[in-house]
Amino acid sequence: MNISYNWLKEYIDLQLSPQQLIDKMTFAGIEIEAVEELGKELRQFQVAEIIEKKPHPNADQLSICLVNTGQEEIQVVCGAPNCKSGQKVVLAPVGSKIGDLEIKKVKLRGEESYGMLCSEKELGISDNHEGIMVLPDNSEVGKDLATQLGLNDVRYEAEITPNRPDLLGMIGIARDLSALLNRKLQLPVAEISEDKTPIETLLSLENTEPKLCQRYLARVIKGVKIAPAPAWLQNRLRSVGLRPINNVVDITNFVMMEYGHPLHAFDYDKIVGKKIIVRRAKQGEKFTALDEETYNLNSSDLVIADSEKPMALAGIIGGTNSHITAETTNIVLEAANFHYIGIRRSSSHHKIFTDSSYRFERGMSSVTNEFISKRAASFILEIAGGELAKGALDSYPNPLPLNIVKLRPSRVHKLLTIEISSEQIKQYLEALGLKQVDSNEEELAFQIPSFRQDLTREIDLIEEIIRLHGYNNVQTFQKPQNITDTHRFYARRRVQDAAVNNGFSEIINWSFGDPDDLDKLQLAPEDPRRKTVKIKNPLGPSFSIMRSSLIPQLLKTALYNIHHGQEDLKLFELNKVFSVRRGQKLANEELQFSGLMCGLAQPNIWHTKTRQVDFYDAKGVAEDILQILHITNVSWLPSEEPFYQPGQAAKIAYKKLIIGNVGKMDAKIAATFNLEKPLYLIDINLEKILREIKTKLPQFQPIPKFPTVQRDISLLIPAKYNWSKVKKAIFQINPKIIKNINIFDEYKGKNVEKGWRSISFSLQLSSSTKTLTDDYINNLIQKIIDTLKNRFSIQMR
Amino acid sequence: MENTDLQQIVEQASQEIAAAENEHQLNLLKSKYLGKKSTLNGMMKKIGTLPPEQRPEFGQKVNKAKKRVEKLLEGQAEKVKEAAYRKAVTQEAIDLTMPGRKTNFGSLHPITKVWRELEDIFMSLGFEVAEGNDIEDEFHNFDALNTPPDHPARELSDTFYIKDDVLLRTQTSTVQIRVMQSHKPPMRFISPGRCYRNDNDASHSPAFHQVEALVVDEGITFADLRDILNIFVKKMFGPHIESRIRPHFFPFTEPSAEIDIVCVNCRGKGCHICKNSGWLEMGGAGMVDPNVFDQLGIDSEKYTGYAFGLGIDRIAMLKYNIPDMRLLFENDIRFLQQFK
Repeated sequence: MNISYNWLKEYIDLQLSPQQLIDKMTFAGIEIEAVEELGKELRQFQVAEIIEKKPHPNADQLSICLVNTGQEEIQVVCGAPNCKSGQKVVLAPVGSKIGDLEIKKVKLRGEESYGMLCSEKELGISDNHEGIMVLPDNSEVGKDLATQLGLNDVRYEAEITPNRPDLLGMIGIARDLSALLNRKLQLPVAEISEDKTPIETLLSLENTEPKLCQRYLARVIKGVKIAPAPAWLQNRLRSVGLRPINNVVDITNFVMMEYGHPLHAFDYDKIVGKKIIVRRAKQGEKFTALDEETYNLNSSDLVIADSEKPMALAGIIGGTNSHITAETTNIVLEAANFHYIGIRRSSSHHKIFTDSSYRFERGMSSVTNEFISKRAASFILEIAGGELAKGALDSYPNPLPLNIVKLRPSRVHKLLTIEISSEQIKQYLEALGLKQVDSNEEELAFQIPSFRQDLTREIDLIEEIIRLHGYNNVQTFQKPQNITDTHRFYARRRVQDAAVNNGFSEIINWSFGDPDDLDKLQLAPEDPRRKTVKIKNPLGPSFSIMRSSLIPQLLKTALYNIHHGQEDLKLFELNKVFSVRRGQKLANEELQFSGLMCGLAQPNIWHTKTRQVDFYDAKGVAEDILQILHITNVSWLPSEEPFYQPGQAAKIAYKKLIIGNVGKMDAKIAATFNLEKPLYLIDINLEKILREIKTKLPQFQPIPKFPTVQRDISLLIPAKYNWSKVKKAIFQINPKIIKNINIFDEYKGKNVEKGWRSISFSLQLSSSTKTLTDDYINNLIQKIIDTLKNRFSIQMR
Repeated sequence: MENTDLQQIVEQASQEIAAAENEHQLNLLKSKYLGKKSTLNGMMKKIGTLPPEQRPEFGQKVNKAKKRVEKLLEGQAEKVKEAAYRKAVTQEAIDLTMPGRKTNFGSLHPITKVWRELEDIFMSLGFEVAEGNDIEDEFHNFDALNTPPDHPARELSDTFYIKDDVLLRTQTSTVQIRVMQSHKPPMRFISPGRCYRNDNDASHSPAFHQVEALVVDEGITFADLRDILNIFVKKMFGPHIESRIRPHFFPFTEPSAEIDIVCVNCRGKGCHICKNSGWLEMGGAGMVDPNVFDQLGIDSEKYTGYAFGLGIDRIAMLKYNIPDMRLLFENDIRFLQQFK
């Protein structure tokens, strides 16, 4: 539904800018989907006066005009035969644009021209291209054309919800705004003067389908003169996106856009038998509609027919056999109400969707007809002339009484919590067109106008009240508490899940620790884990401190399980560790993740060769955990923990922060816990990560449009260079193209010289701008090999 | 004469083709019946020797026979191909009962599983989740909870002490006090966590896990408490499990109640788990004592609230039918792997 700002102002003194109006409509439930500034194009053109016209010396078809722009007098060459001196015309000055054509100072057959005098077609106002547009004599020279023509306007495209067909016209919108803004709604009046000829002598009406045609009201006007509608009427229609056709049709469309209720006009002289019959179509009956398509009707279609033929598909589209043409002199004006079910059925069956069907299929009023028939008739008399027959043919078989809906103010309060007086309720609802008919303290009764068939229950009225009172004026009570530390909450779960997905079983140990275990782990005296919290009345000496590490109990749990025949273990605990906080009454309590692996990497598997777990299994778990916490860019440096085997343990460094350790436990220290098997530990300070590292959610990266190419390379690398150095050097060669490097083999031994190792990997290459050619890739690979050779003496294998 | 011959040829071809088992045999048959030296081809050559009026009819008949043989060959070729495919497929059959290549994922501890379930249930009911320290001071563990210094619960034998006024919390109500100090009502949260009591046997562990809930707002009533307990019990144990509350004493709630649920094992008939009572004790509950509010500067005339506490370990034992609490902390992998 298109709404015109200017048109709306006819019915209500808005006192709002076009922009402010959007807000008001939005919060009244009228959602604005698009806004278009009208007249913008025409503002570059201006009213000018032709002071003098003389023939062009070199061209018979052209003339030279001296034009007053209001500021200066300029010369314009014009080819239009109708230009005369003294005319007020439209000038496109130098610099303005007509479509894509920029008006420039030009020489036409040797004469200079500073602009262009325009036709209506060139200005996009109409299809008239017979000459330049001539404005009324009282037009003000120098004024821009949009202002001159009254075409400065704003058009809103609104989404009207299906329950509100009354908003499908300007007045409906204005009524809602009037209620919302508490400003008076100025409704149009319609005064008609009827002729003496009674309509019954000219036309008869038969409504055979009272269910599908709830009301049919016809008037006859004789002697109209069909012509283009006056400019103001055409402008109104254009402002809501309708195309002007002729005065009578434009008037029916104008009234439709005003009241939201469609009308139709027939050519009286084409009505055979001078009888209008509202009936169902015959099966297979042919009907040529105004869209110039011929439809095969069926018996569920409702038609408006004369005694011979269908003249309109009721409420949807008129027919070419009876529409208003330039020759029409007598007309029948239809203002009807068709049931939405029939309209919806026929419209969707024949796939005809018109402004009329759009409205009728949402349910129209059977009362509004009466007024809009008069409204349209009075316009026709005024604009197209003619004589209005006396009276109207009116078939209204089942007049519906207006509904009464009762409302308890106490209920309003109960549902909305707002304090609102009965007086205020009455004001809101009466502004919407309801009428209070009865009331006592507990209950108000309102008569519902015919155009608001959506209001049938108390709750519907309550909705209207709050809509006008303002949804956001309802006070809220619950403030967000922010008690949950959501980041911590889910980080903990995700780490647990990552470990479980890696085959780890979660263990839960008591928080009591044995101080002797810290000696066994050979923790330095200054190690923070030595600053233990001691229990005054412990269960026993080996439970006398609050644990500062999860590892001793992890080792004991491993031992317990090994003693019970379970040799392939993956265990973890995620729990608090404790230490003394200097100068504070309470202690440090920090979340720690510790895991242990020993035995087979993949026990209970028959289809793959089994192997013992090693450092890289443990590192993989740590990497998974870091990934799930969205931590990237960590370094793996030699660990400084005393209980790992040097050379097979790494500390995890994030910038300068050490967030954990991974590696093989020192065999001698493990033995002090009675553990003989190789053990691998993963120890991550989750607290430090949560406290110190700000992580970001992964953000979507566009999927490469161009194919990814994979190339495998095997290199011989001197042992002194670690992989991360080599990898970094490769990436640096072309980080935009080299997307990934995946190792698939590491080899030392036979055929590889001592002090060297072979690493095989695949390069994933792709570009975001092109498909990589073989030449390009080969060059890149050669560059990689050369670089590695020069920097690390690396060789191809 | 020729009719019978042709029929015989087609008949014979049909039999031989139907017996063909592979492409090679079919190729041989094709050259035998349709090739240059075939009888049919010979008959075709003979056509010139016939009187002109007989030629068209004869030609048609021979052609028809040829077509028939061609069709039979094609049909059999299809069959042979299909049979070969079926055979190959049959040879690829494997032992479907061998174990699959399953990811050997691990398991969450049953306490963690129940802990998460509790959080999820209460979060779905609009509760937030608060955490707190295991090591607490006496004020938050006792004083603020309306437990005066001479109260028997403060006995050294029940509570682990770190210093004279610092201890290992004996319940997570400490978190409720902390949140009431740092936030303003309304509030609605649970506090799951580890608690400690100097107790160690089949049904008591010196470290155990609890969840407590606290709701403070205007207009919170005893009915709200009963509602939330009913909802919780049914979500945790199933729609058929009824619950009840009965009078009890806690220093920080008034009225105070203990929560029972119908025995999940015998559904109320009486068994060893419920000691033949048909009911299982689940925890404590009550309306927050106005003293608790007053002490924390919360207007006890304006606000009311309820609180309750439940044992996580005990719920885990009931849900997973674990008979002895010590199993929960032994961490035997044969135990842990049962709760994947």
